[in-house]
Amino acid sequence: MSKLKLVAENSLRDLAHSDGRISLLTQTLLLAFLLTLTLTSGSIQTYLRTNLDQMLGSDMVIESHTPLTDSQIETLQGMAAGTSRTVLTNITLTSGTNWERAQLKIVDSNYPLQGTLQIGQAPSAQQRPVQRGPSEGEIWLDSRLATKLRLKVGDRLNLGEIDLLVAAILFHEPDRILEGHSVAKRAMVHRASLDAVSLDTAKSRTRFLIAADETAQGAIEDWAKKALPAATLTKKYGGQHPLAGFWTRTENFLGLASVILFFLGAVALDMTNRRWLAKMRYRLAIYASFGTSNRTGMLIALGEWLIGFLACVAIACSLAAIAFGLIIQDLQGYFPGLEVGWDSLAALKTIGLVFVLMLTLQLPSFIQLTRASLLSLIRSTSEGNYVWSRLAMGLISVAILAIAYSDNWLLTGMTLTAITIAITVMIILTWAVIRLGDRWGRGKAGLLPFAFFIMRQRLFAKSAQIMGLGLCGLLLLFTLMSMRDFRAMMEGYGRTHDGNLMISEAQENQIEAIHTWAKTTNSSVRSLRPYVSAQLISVNGKSLADYMQKPSDTLATLKDPIRLSWSDTLPANNRLAGGKWWQPEPENWQQISTEPEVMTDMGLRYGDTLTYDISGEAYEFTLVASHAFKPGGGSITFWFQVPATARPHIDAPTRYMGSMELPERAWVALSQLWQQHPTLSLVPLKELTDRFDQTLGIVTKITSGYAGMILILALFVLAASISGFSADDRQKNGLLMSMGLRKSDCLRLNFYDWGLTAFIAAAGAIIGTWMSGELMYQSQFGLTYDPDVLWLISTLLIMIGLVCFVGFAACRHALNSSVRDLLAE
Amino acid sequence: MQNKIELKRISHHFDTSEERIELFHELSHTICSGETLAIVGPSGAGKSSLLSIAAGLEAPSEGTVSFTIDGNQVDTLYMRASSGFIFQQFHLMPELDAIDNLALPLRLKGNKAAYDIAASWLDNIGLKDRARHRPHQLSGGEQQRIAVARAFVSKPQFIFADEPTGNLDARTSASVTSLMFDCALETGCGLVIVTHSKELAACAQKSLRLEAGRLEVAA
Ligand SMILES: Nc1ncnc2c1ncn2[C@@H]1O[C@H](COP(=O)(O)OP(=O)(O)OP(=O)(O)O)[C@@H](O)[C@H]1O
Ligand SMILES: [Mg+2]
Repeated sequence: MSKLKLVAENSLRDLAHSDGRISLLTQTLLLAFLLTLTLTSGSIQTYLRTNLDQMLGSDMVIESHTPLTDSQIETLQGMAAGTSRTVLTNITLTSGTNWERAQLKIVDSNYPLQGTLQIGQAPSAQQRPVQRGPSEGEIWLDSRLATKLRLKVGDRLNLGEIDLLVAAILFHEPDRILEGHSVAKRAMVHRASLDAVSLDTAKSRTRFLIAADETAQGAIEDWAKKALPAATLTKKYGGQHPLAGFWTRTENFLGLASVILFFLGAVALDMTNRRWLAKMRYRLAIYASFGTSNRTGMLIALGEWLIGFLACVAIACSLAAIAFGLIIQDLQGYFPGLEVGWDSLAALKTIGLVFVLMLTLQLPSFIQLTRASLLSLIRSTSEGNYVWSRLAMGLISVAILAIAYSDNWLLTGMTLTAITIAITVMIILTWAVIRLGDRWGRGKAGLLPFAFFIMRQRLFAKSAQIMGLGLCGLLLLFTLMSMRDFRAMMEGYGRTHDGNLMISEAQENQIEAIHTWAKTTNSSVRSLRPYVSAQLISVNGKSLADYMQKPSDTLATLKDPIRLSWSDTLPANNRLAGGKWWQPEPENWQQISTEPEVMTDMGLRYGDTLTYDISGEAYEFTLVASHAFKPGGGSITFWFQVPATARPHIDAPTRYMGSMELPERAWVALSQLWQQHPTLSLVPLKELTDRFDQTLGIVTKITSGYAGMILILALFVLAASISGFSADDRQKNGLLMSMGLRKSDCLRLNFYDWGLTAFIAAAGAIIGTWMSGELMYQSQFGLTYDPDVLWLISTLLIMIGLVCFVGFAACRHALNSSVRDLLAE
Repeated sequence: MQNKIELKRISHHFDTSEERIELFHELSHTICSGETLAIVGPSGAGKSSLLSIAAGLEAPSEGTVSFTIDGNQVDTLYMRASSGFIFQQFHLMPELDAIDNLALPLRLKGNKAAYDIAASWLDNIGLKDRARHRPHQLSGGEQQRIAVARAFVSKPQFIFADEPTGNLDARTSASVTSLMFDCALETGCGLVIVTHSKELAACAQKSLRLEAGRLEVAA
């Protein structure tokens, strides 16, 4: 009992001491950070997942132009946890004398599997979420369709012989993103409503929403590749889907952040461990001098450490709870629906992992401690160079824990590889520079040779310090760099989805009205591209019907007029996919470029002649190039583009297509614009873009938050490193001054010391960062690694400067105490 | 009831990269409890090494050391639990005050009355009023008196002291010396002191001189 009390007293006393405080603070911060990270990322993952549900409506989607056979459907249902079959078909809906083409979505009772539909009572009414689609006998229309057909909720509509009730205005479906920025008017019915009619399903698409776990998804994917070669497959996670890709990158970034936090924490702890070991060694030796056995001594040391850890858990938990609450509260302002999810299991797991981490980091010190001997009090014994065991032990244990924590082996492996390379470089550099410097300085007088000599004497301690600082620099630099690039990438994403209102058709005389309206409502016109309506009538002189019999979506679309746009240079959101962009000469105006998918579907080749009917006249163009969509310059891209020089030759009215970004207040004012120009065709994409913006916003905030955490922890490493070595430095300085060295010389000597330390650490950091970028960018973030050398170097210079400055300041402070004080140590 | 340390034909040397440092060769001696012994000799002769071998901290290169406590032969671990040390550098715990330092050995042994015993010892050594002072607030002599008391407080069978007065002036040395010998007499434990001080050595019942690898009874 009294021993236990002694242990507790010792721990408390240590915590009151600056060394103990730094150690406790580091542990607490690390744990608090990891806890906050676990809790927030848990909440955010839940949020993002529901957000993703809202974009795909399921885990996985299979879409096919040919209907699946009954046995195929059976197989699919056998493999999945749940399925929902949707058929999409284009039909013409009529109501009185009004008629309109629309895309009809025929759903079953399971639709949607995940997420919610947004519906309302009138086009301008409040939206409300519902879990299921329309029931039998009902039809839901989107607002534009309802307006065109002059139908209200409660009216009836005939579809063939079937009489349907217009039950709701449809605003958003969770699988809407699969249609991209399609501007087709939409309607939705339950499949049971259509049993009596046979719709022409030749051109329809069948879409299966599938709920399945990861293994089942893999099995379905394999099966679909063989059984349904023509079907397209979209997955929520890890698929080709742009959002899924984005999600994977975000998860990877978060994973990397926690791995980096682990490493930084380990470095900081290692630095404080040195002092801890010295102190405990002394304490145990004294205990031994009055007959305490080694076992008791070790138990006491363990107990003290444990109490320290418990104190740190207590503080860290409360800190993390506060931070988590605040972060979520802040985020809730932007993202309603984000919840404070106390995942106590995850929190416990984190605490457990940190416990194991700290214990393993402490292990080499404990082993050293068992060798603590009373003999050291009688005569000075060598401390033993345990840098290597410590390094190896630390690296291995942290690596294992990081892998356990991050569950992305590849990413962690890459981080480790980069770190190992950086450490190797630093070790080699340290030894080479210091040894060579010492050899060079041998027999020479002066301060620099002397600085080398002293560093050579303390090679092991010096290596530990350099490695710690270098590792810290590497992690910090890489975090800052990837943060920067990650943010740039996300902004790129934001730009592909720019605008929340699509202008699907505007006439020339309406453009000015749009601009004025935008100005008065604070909206911005993001893009506006001109086009003429043109219909492809023949290819190489053969009429379209003769040229191509194989049915395809592309062919179906080309049977109607399409939008033909013009531009001299390749638009910012396009890249050249093949062929050659046009020659600038005006006489070469009869050239055309199309998208690669159109070429494949239609069997087109460069050099083919395409004939279009534009306003009743035929125009011929030669296919010379193909262009593909590229994110980062607006979302509007055209199937066909011709040189701007072609425009004067074409006699047809110009139409415009584009996008606008409306602030919240502007939406109500939209009706004014519509009233003035009823023919203006606008498609609100608010629901879709809002979700995207939210997701981007939350991720940006979180990544910045993590970078902040890492920065703080890095400062801690610096503080720990300086305080951890200050005793050595003080002793050295005291000795030098007692030998008659002037204070300014002492400062200069320290300056050389710190400068060299910072230089080698910086070199390691740069090389490690470079390696990490090369290794990780492409595979983990889908980014091309294009390091900004100037930025890297200037960031690094700031870091070196900071290290030198802080080290220098600490040394000045130490020198201000008198020689007597220094020697009294 | 006999406690003793028997050194039988012990030799000790250190191997460094360049040469072998021979300290002594085939020394034999028996140290008994209730006896005070001083070891003197020139610097570097190996006195501290001999002391740590006798205390069981180090094994000799050759020869055997056997410990007998209460009539039974015991191992070094048991021996360690029954011995106390006094150092040249005092080695008090810097973060503990005087009474805490004194109570420490007792508390480690689970003694409930640790603070009462420590207080009476503090009174004995005349530092009652300095109970709440930390080592850096005490003079060297005061620190060493506390260190001496700390070594005796847990009633060990043997006390080993390496240059206990090496850091003290003559007057303070005398007070620490008398304190040590008085305590040894009172508790009946064996006291082994390594010293340069003739005055200190003269107080011991027996004085050995270690020089050039040989141990002789000093005059
Ligand atoms: N670990 C070691 N490695 C090599 N030589 C050692 C070691 N420890 C002690 N020595 C050498 O052994 C010799 C005896 O050391 P010891 O400390 O026993 O001397 P001492 O008689 O106590 O001297 P002093 O009176 O100066 O304290 C010295 O020459 C010392 O250099
Ligand atoms: Mg000695």
